[in-house]
Amino acid sequence: MARSNEVSINESKQMVVPLNTWVLISNFKLAYNLLRRPDGTFNRHLAEFLDRKVPANANPIDGVFSFDVIVDRATNLLCRIYRPSDTDEPPNVADLEKPVKSESSSTVPVIVFFHGGSFAHSSANSAIYDTLCRRLVGLCRAVVVSVNYRRAPEHRYPCAYDDGWTVLNWVKSRAWLESTDSKVHIFLAGDSSGGNIAHHVALKAAESESGIEVLGNILLNPMFGGELRTESEKRLDGKYFVSVQDRDWYWRAFLPDGADRDHPACNPFGPKAASLEGVKFPKSLVVVAGLDLVQDWQMAYVEGLKKAGQQVKDLYLEKATIGFYLLPNNAHFHTVMDEIKKFVSSNC
Amino acid sequence: MVPYETAAIPIANPPATSSSTTTTTTISKPPEIDGLLAGAGYKVRSSDLRHVAQRLERLETAMLNSPSQHLSLLASDAVLYNPSDLSTWVDSLLSELNQSQSLPSLPSDLSDLVSNPTALDGSWMDQQLPPPTAAIHNQQPSQLTVVEEDSGIRLVHMLMTCAEYVQRGELSLAGSLIQDMQSLLTRVNTGCGIGKVAGCFIDALSRRVFAAGGGGGIPGSAYETEILYHHFYEACPYLKFAHFTANQAILEAFDGHDCVHVVDFNLMHGLQWPALIQALALRPGGPPTLRLTGIGPPSPDGRDSLREIGLRLAELARSVNVRFAFRGVAASRLEDVKPWMLQVNPKEAVAVNSIMQLHKLLAGPGLDPAHRPAPIEAVLGWIRSLNPKIVTVVEHEADHNQPGFLDRFTESLYYYSTMFDSLDACALQPEKALAEMYIQREICNVVSCEGPARLERHEPLARWRERLGRAGFRPLHLGSNAFKQASMLLTLFSAEGYCVEENEGCLTLGWHSRPLIAASAWHALPETAAVSPDVAVVGGAVM
Repeated sequence: MARSNEVSINESKQMVVPLNTWVLISNFKLAYNLLRRPDGTFNRHLAEFLDRKVPANANPIDGVFSFDVIVDRATNLLCRIYRPSDTDEPPNVADLEKPVKSESSSTVPVIVFFHGGSFAHSSANSAIYDTLCRRLVGLCRAVVVSVNYRRAPEHRYPCAYDDGWTVLNWVKSRAWLESTDSKVHIFLAGDSSGGNIAHHVALKAAESESGIEVLGNILLNPMFGGELRTESEKRLDGKYFVSVQDRDWYWRAFLPDGADRDHPACNPFGPKAASLEGVKFPKSLVVVAGLDLVQDWQMAYVEGLKKAGQQVKDLYLEKATIGFYLLPNNAHFHTVMDEIKKFVSSNC
Repeated sequence: MVPYETAAIPIANPPATSSSTTTTTTISKPPEIDGLLAGAGYKVRSSDLRHVAQRLERLETAMLNSPSQHLSLLASDAVLYNPSDLSTWVDSLLSELNQSQSLPSLPSDLSDLVSNPTALDGSWMDQQLPPPTAAIHNQQPSQLTVVEEDSGIRLVHMLMTCAEYVQRGELSLAGSLIQDMQSLLTRVNTGCGIGKVAGCFIDALSRRVFAAGGGGGIPGSAYETEILYHHFYEACPYLKFAHFTANQAILEAFDGHDCVHVVDFNLMHGLQWPALIQALALRPGGPPTLRLTGIGPPSPDGRDSLREIGLRLAELARSVNVRFAFRGVAASRLEDVKPWMLQVNPKEAVAVNSIMQLHKLLAGPGLDPAHRPAPIEAVLGWIRSLNPKIVTVVEHEADHNQPGFLDRFTESLYYYSTMFDSLDACALQPEKALAEMYIQREICNVVSCEGPARLERHEPLARWRERLGRAGFRPLHLGSNAFKQASMLLTLFSAEGYCVEENEGCLTLGWHSRPLIAASAWHALPETAAVSPDVAVVGGAVM
């Protein structure tokens, strides 16, 4: 490849995303290439070595403090809780779980957040997700509960969903998370695989007799798929950080042995899935990036919800790539943050 | 089973009233580093972004041209360092890919030892821990009653209030609160969780408030200390991680040297050294001549315990054909050691090993009328004068040396409750009870002692980086192989929840995302090199 061509290809890609975003996501892409082995196993040690993590911090930084809680010792299920703080004064150690209603007379949304990473990568304490959760706190005046769910391939379906369900129940039963009406106002949110998990946890809540009401689902570039090769997958394969081959790898790592991509976990409106008609499913906000090769599946998801009589708003961002919401350096970022804020406040 | 929380104190970096921020960000970044990427954990200069982007493109091409088996092998075997420094990171990957066309060989020495526990003589690796379920179910209540949970939270409230009284000098108020807490303790399960931790801190506070002459730790002989230390070593992985990680780094630093000398700042039972002796024995090309100088307190009863340990290690070395010599240096304080006592030979490769010792030097007087350097500076100075190939440092990852009592108290409450929590999950009796006593002594020292008696002056990694940088040391990064070996070591412990993290070339071991100890390695620039403070900041680029 001639030097000048190389530079111009570089330039054109980079005009779609800011340079630092391009560096961030390309670095992830290449590092992830090293971690996925052709035999389906995953280099977990190297993954943990490479992941940039941050500790929880009970000192408020920009009005948000965080602390980690073990929700289920049997599975070592950890959550990182983020709370708003009006002062610079750090909370007393016993006040970390001070009732939210004592600090606010209006309802306090509690957002249960599932980080992305295609079911295999990242953690609740990954720097990029710590940053995102902190933003959500400020944006929505919410408490954010970030779930450190078990990951593939070591833990396949339905572990991540089970962990989400455990946390949802835990959140519902925390008196300190109740608003002044003595109810916990719960939203589910997630990006990539986290969006997929949010859907399935909401579904479980709706179908079980639990009485847990989820007020809204926020899905950012949710990870769905199917056996069929869609037009967007073919058109965008390998063009913007993601390839069909890597998507296939992650599904094989997450889905049960022998399952194909029409398994309902992957394809919730596919041939093997049960209908959502009549299910008391929460309102959804689905954000789709126009340069994400999975968009046809995401739009199919939106259609599926509509056909089943469910309320859904989709936000299609034509020139956005995956991960655009990780750094606040583009217009899409701000558009989405505004939408999320509106969605939470109007459904709380 | 309904999910529950066992400790009222969650895991976090504690609140601090000072303006200093988290342990990871006390070094302020130079202005030209991209702020958004820094927030994501990566250090790249804005002016370098384009260059890094081009290198990433080149790396992608190189990866596309490599068979995928080759990539996986590269990922498993290449030793990679400091992923935060993206520029260096990408370049090192590129050079790894370009270098190796054939399959690289596995660095096998330590990994063989890890997978063959019988290869290590008398070391902890022979122990098989039973599965955790029985232990956990026996130790923890299946559900905290509402009363207990409330009492737990109340105790924490009272502890914080009491600490505030102490800080303000209102000792009689503190004293009566201590009595209230002691009676509340009777209604709480002190066998585990918040009750256990609160019990220790109430005890420490009461020693401070009620002791005649103001403040007193738990008295104990050196012999008792050794016993407790040994049980702490057995009960949880912190010391093993420290030894293991330091040994790995020392082994690499000694590569190619025929005469090597390890100076151990706290020999104790010499638990760290059998593994290193074994590893050196198996070194390709044969073992070097190994000298070990062990520093420790003088034995009170006429025994020469240092020499006894030395003899045992010599036995082991003989059995694996490693030429070995031992020297004991008896000193009650590290600052009493003079470099000439170590008899370092200029031709040897020297490794200085300090496991949880450097912080004790911070107890020295701040200002000396004779303007002698502070003990820590004096010791770092003579370490440097030995021209060591490597200095391995392991310290508690906590700030227990803050001037304000309340800050110190709060930080240690978080820190030790996390540590107790980790002990609850994996240890067996009787190791666990004695390990807890070991920890309790530390707590007492942090909380109830002052002045030269307060030896447990733990400081976080970021501050040690600054200190060692100022003293003329540069970091030697611990890489992905050390990380992997440390992670594998942890899987030998049935309790999941321990985690190893990489932090700009250093490794930390923590419990559930809270780092508790940090291991780092250093070397000294030659004495004539100028010591510039800002050079210390971006580690990888300097080397």
